[in-house]
Amino acid sequence: MSKPITTFEDFIKRILKVVFWVLLFLPLIGVPIYYGLYGYLHLPIDFFALATVKPLEFLAFQINLINTEPFKTLFALTVFPGFTFVAVYSTIFMGWVERKFTAKIQLRTGPMYAGKVEGIAQNFADFFKLLFKEIIIPNGVDTATFVAIPFALMAVAGALIALVPLSPTTYIANPSVGAILVFAVLGFSPLIVLLAGWASNSKYPFLGGLRALHQLVAYEIPLILSLVGAVILSGSLNLAPLVPGGPSIVTAQSGIWFIVLQPLGAIVFFVGALAELERIPFDLPEADSELVAGWQTEYTSMLFGTFQLANFSRMYILAGLFTTFFLGGWLGPAPVPPEVWFILKTTAVMIAMMLPRSVMPRVRIDQLLRAGWVKLLALSFANMFVTMVIVSLGVA
Amino acid sequence: MADPTFIAMMVVTVGSAIVALEAKEIVYGAIGLAGSLFGVATLFFLLDAPYVAVFQIAVYIGAVAVLILFTVMLVRQERWAKELPTNALSKFAGIATGLAVTIALAFAVLDTGLFSITQTNPADFVKIGELISTGYAPVLEVLALILAASVVGALTLSRVDKEEKK
Repeated sequence: MSKPITTFEDFIKRILKVVFWVLLFLPLIGVPIYYGLYGYLHLPIDFFALATVKPLEFLAFQINLINTEPFKTLFALTVFPGFTFVAVYSTIFMGWVERKFTAKIQLRTGPMYAGKVEGIAQNFADFFKLLFKEIIIPNGVDTATFVAIPFALMAVAGALIALVPLSPTTYIANPSVGAILVFAVLGFSPLIVLLAGWASNSKYPFLGGLRALHQLVAYEIPLILSLVGAVILSGSLNLAPLVPGGPSIVTAQSGIWFIVLQPLGAIVFFVGALAELERIPFDLPEADSELVAGWQTEYTSMLFGTFQLANFSRMYILAGLFTTFFLGGWLGPAPVPPEVWFILKTTAVMIAMMLPRSVMPRVRIDQLLRAGWVKLLALSFANMFVTMVIVSLGVA
Repeated sequence: MADPTFIAMMVVTVGSAIVALEAKEIVYGAIGLAGSLFGVATLFFLLDAPYVAVFQIAVYIGAVAVLILFTVMLVRQERWAKELPTNALSKFAGIATGLAVTIALAFAVLDTGLFSITQTNPADFVKIGELISTGYAPVLEVLALILAASVVGALTLSRVDKEEKK
């Protein structure tokens, strides 16, 4: 019996040990099996000979494989603009940034130990902790719905990740109606959150679910209408051009960013996005001093981790949409690649979204609904009509 | 790629429609309805009509399904559907009516000349917008008026309710 793991360092050592033994035994078992099959089935390429004798040729083969169609989409979907990038960037990295940022504002230090440098590995540690905890399903919950909810929320986040373009060519899907498809898919989340409140069969989640429903439905409409001005000015619903040089919302901003032409729209979208993400000052559905954790109360372990992943992914998506619609997306001076510009701008927007958390109190539900249905809706309509008048007069 | 997707989504659509009708727990029925409507939306995507599909999702799942679920949860009861004694005659009558309606609808659809359409371009939302703002503008305005009237009616009804409580 090996000694128990007490520190994060021990944990990493143990993981590395397991990786070492796996890497050692995989060739010892895998290579004979592969060559056994190679003789029988006449497989197309002698992978191991290529990899060991001609490594450069093998590398070229791999790059070629990634650039051919089924694997290209798979790579985009799972690795770069897709899931792994968003999970690591938004949840692990930006989660750490949020903790340090909030801590510094409140004159604390934040996580310091895991990963030596300013606690940078703290969120990895938390991820592994959540991964290995027991999944507790309370009595009386609707088990099928209860377990399906985190995955449904993650599926919605995944569908949205596919629609955010990082550059004219780096995206997963680019439908001709991208700008409205995003909001159609966002419309799934009130349904899922309400079901989460219902399936938990407990009063705090149910109250949180109802609050979330009111809030999400109220703020989705100003969120969509605030973008109408940008769509009118660009004359397109595509987030990235369908054909090279074609019209799109980002390429229409090559002269001047829409945040200058549409300041009202940008403000409404930013406030609406904060409410849609249930972040402070609009965190009534979670409200930890009143409702424990709102509709997430009964969830434990990696089911709760999936909620965190989905929430941070949605934060990345809405920040990415703000960048796309108002900050010129991937546009920027040449030597820096467009993807890096996009990520830099999105990071800035996400940090701006984290700022209210440390400086604002939570609003009441009547203030929230009044602000959503009366003020934001009126502002977004005003923005829309002013834009229409300006465009019809031929000024812009 | 289109055919496997089509078959899978047909299974989802029809399967969740059956769930929506047959589920004992009414929340499952609402979920089934949402799944069925989503299946219809994917069929619109496969038919190269993304604009229609997007509004199918936004309206039916984002609004209608949420409203149904919300209403169900507000007025929660243990058993909604009472177990009625099954009658052989009414069962056959139901099946016969269903078949008759299906066949009539099928003939109506076949009669529209749907199969003679050869256009291969996807439906263009700019053209839809042009049609709505020119030829079909009066229809759109009448629809908007009906919706506004029903919203005002609903508000009035709920207000009367509130005053009676006092």
